[in-house]
Amino acid sequence: MSSKIGDWVNERSGWRNHYAAIFLRKIPKINWLYTLGSATLFTMTLQFATGILLTLYYVPEPTQAHASVDYITNELTFGWLIRGLHHWGSSAMVLLVILHMVRVIAYGAYKYPREATWFSGVALLLLTFSFGFTGYLLPWDQRAYWATVVGTRIGEVTPFVGGSLKSVMLGGEEISGLTLTRFYGAHVWILPAVLLVLVGIHMYLVIRNGITAVPKRNE
Amino acid sequence: MREQDREAYLEKYEQQKKKGYFLFLFQLLKYFPGDLEVVGVIVLPVMALTFLIFLPYLDKSPWRHWSARPVISTITIAMLAGATFLTAQSLLEEAPPGSVTEAGDRTAALYISNCAGCHGSKIDVRPDTDLFSVVSAGTHEGMPPWNADLSADEIDALIGFILAPRGSEVFAGSCSQCHAAEQLIEADAIELRNALETGSAYPPHVEFNLAEWSDTLTAAEQGQLLNFLTAPDGQRLWDQQCSSCHGRAVAFDGSASELRDVVVQGGGHLDMPAFGQTLSESDIQTLARYVLDPSAPGGDLFAQNCSACHASTIPTAASLPEAVDAIARGGAHENMPVWGDILTDEQIAALVAYVEQAAEGGDLASGGELFAQNCSSCHGDLGEGGVNPARAGDIIAPISTAEYLRTRDDRTLQAIISQGQPNFGMSPFADSFGGPLKDDQVNAIVAFMRAWEENPPVELPPDVPSSPQPTASGEEVYGELCSQCHGPNGEGGIGTSFADPQWQARNQDSAVFDAINLGHEATAMIAWGEILTLGQIDQIVTHIRTLDSSAPPPAPDATPTFEADVLPIFQASCTACHGTLGGWTGTSYTDALTSGANGPTIVPGSPDSSRLVQSLIGTHPTGMVMPPSGALSAADIQTIIDWVAGGAPEK
Repeated sequence: MSSKIGDWVNERSGWRNHYAAIFLRKIPKINWLYTLGSATLFTMTLQFATGILLTLYYVPEPTQAHASVDYITNELTFGWLIRGLHHWGSSAMVLLVILHMVRVIAYGAYKYPREATWFSGVALLLLTFSFGFTGYLLPWDQRAYWATVVGTRIGEVTPFVGGSLKSVMLGGEEISGLTLTRFYGAHVWILPAVLLVLVGIHMYLVIRNGITAVPKRNE
Repeated sequence: MREQDREAYLEKYEQQKKKGYFLFLFQLLKYFPGDLEVVGVIVLPVMALTFLIFLPYLDKSPWRHWSARPVISTITIAMLAGATFLTAQSLLEEAPPGSVTEAGDRTAALYISNCAGCHGSKIDVRPDTDLFSVVSAGTHEGMPPWNADLSADEIDALIGFILAPRGSEVFAGSCSQCHAAEQLIEADAIELRNALETGSAYPPHVEFNLAEWSDTLTAAEQGQLLNFLTAPDGQRLWDQQCSSCHGRAVAFDGSASELRDVVVQGGGHLDMPAFGQTLSESDIQTLARYVLDPSAPGGDLFAQNCSACHASTIPTAASLPEAVDAIARGGAHENMPVWGDILTDEQIAALVAYVEQAAEGGDLASGGELFAQNCSSCHGDLGEGGVNPARAGDIIAPISTAEYLRTRDDRTLQAIISQGQPNFGMSPFADSFGGPLKDDQVNAIVAFMRAWEENPPVELPPDVPSSPQPTASGEEVYGELCSQCHGPNGEGGIGTSFADPQWQARNQDSAVFDAINLGHEATAMIAWGEILTLGQIDQIVTHIRTLDSSAPPPAPDATPTFEADVLPIFQASCTACHGTLGGWTGTSYTDALTSGANGPTIVPGSPDSSRLVQSLIGTHPTGMVMPPSGALSAADIQTIIDWVAGGAPEK
């Protein structure tokens, strides 16, 4: 029965070719370190899912932001779980991305013809940090506030463009409600949009070029 | 998940203080303070990023195995090791000093809950930092101001802890059972040293069985303990130990090492002249009596001869002969304690630095001159303020009131003078901001202004009675409140003059009402709407209108009478014709009411229908305005109108 449905859909969409290209492609003999990329992808999906759930209750407005986070953590059914997953997931994501990158460096996997994959990977690394930075302000407590003060002030040190960079980040000279909405907008719309595009490119290139084998000493 | 699990989970969740993966970056910044910051913030991260981006082109080798690419492998391992090391370093510093918390060290607990989150377990402070202002006011570098969360004593205790952490431990171990750190912070350094050295023999400690601190504590520990209790903060040391004799600052233009010697040696650097050579016998007697009893005459003599050194502190003497002798012979005074024996090296260094800094403030005389040259044209000779020449319609509020000076510290005044207040039309005065004054000249002006604080030339704001009676009339309220600034008759003073006819003409009732109700933010006029009822404010507006100097004097309560008020006017202006020439005659009451060619000239109670009034004000259709030489004065006409309206009484 299921194969019949599969056939029916395949006739009209050709999904089996794509499925085969993605999941049934030939790979060299590899080890567990090669799962770090997939692990990152999984964590990202988890962040998307939990993040979307959090937006149902989070209010990006100075007088209510912290109260809403408090509500999510302490009162909402399983809110503490969703927020906890999102919180720890962000650390896990950074850790996995870095390990993934170290693996790529160690195996020389960025070499021809996979330079473009590497470039998109570096961009994804920066994007991941940006997620961490913008998300950190959203609980709107003292720690978040001052971490953002320090963070944006660090940006201000940048030669020539530091001042404008800071105003763009903060939406003014000081952290305000505008900063909160700005960071929120970046965290839930701008960065995810860019992330999806880059992840798409990254995945396409990985599939297109195949993955490298574990290098031998004389290779 | 069970409830306990959830609790435990949340607790752990809260413990996660900073994002772990940013720790290395923060730690990195600590190694690049000040101007080097850009290295830690930009140069190194950009280098790392450039390395990552161009990795495929930096690494041209055809080999992929790590051992075949030694350079790249080394750099990668170095970067990873570096980040790991910095993170570990940061986590280690993060760990609160466990032993002190166990010992119940409250200051350490204060430090851990307020400072350790960002600063780790200890802070390296540059020697000339004014820690108190840093802690209480925060810094631009992202440190929040703590003065709202912590009391001044707590901040002082924290400063002691930061500068002498070992002292805090000693304190927790040896003293904290009886003393709270914040109590001893304000203690006299001499007493502290005394208690430390005499140990169990120190009078307040006698009944307790205490150790001999000078034996049980090493010299270094004693120093740390004293530094903890009286932190090496020059300003506070000055306030505690020096200001009682030396006032706000001493003039000193020698070198720092000389000053240090003076402080360390203390004692006989004060040579009192032998006044027997310069003052008459009777003057010395007067002074001696004044010293024994300050209510006796002699204050002027004291001010002339003694206060330069003694300030307002009158020295004491046991008897008249002793006082006479001391004044006549002068000599070395051993008044100043030998601070070298009392203060720690760090404290003396901080004190010397502070005294030098304070001495740069300049003397009051030059500050006064500079004020007269630069400030008084707008702020008045005594800082009383006035009309703002830079902004029409604006009033400069007084800057020499006790309230103004008390609520602004020297640094604020200095900033205002240096940078100006462009929004209020004040240009910057410091040369670093394009103005004419050097920094020390600005300081001199600040010192000059500060001298007002004790005895402000302008008294403001007026005392506001807590609850003016809601039933008080507008006039009463005016007399009680408004008149303090605007004068009892609206002649003005600190506030606007209401007697000024131009002011009266310029401001409508609604504007006056609003000014009273809402106040005026640029001046000391507060919003009275919170204190007075709207009805009262209305009455005050009415009352203010009566203060116009050009307005006719308020009508007397009684209706004018013919004999007292009207006849004199008639006699002066009318009866030359209207007495003998026929027609209406105004020489007597009966004639005035009954004579006339065409019926009554005066209709009692109805000025409008009275021919007399019509002729006086020119509303009669045929006749000319009377008298022919020109209309009567407005006041006279009003008197007659009132008389007619009041029924034209004879007397």
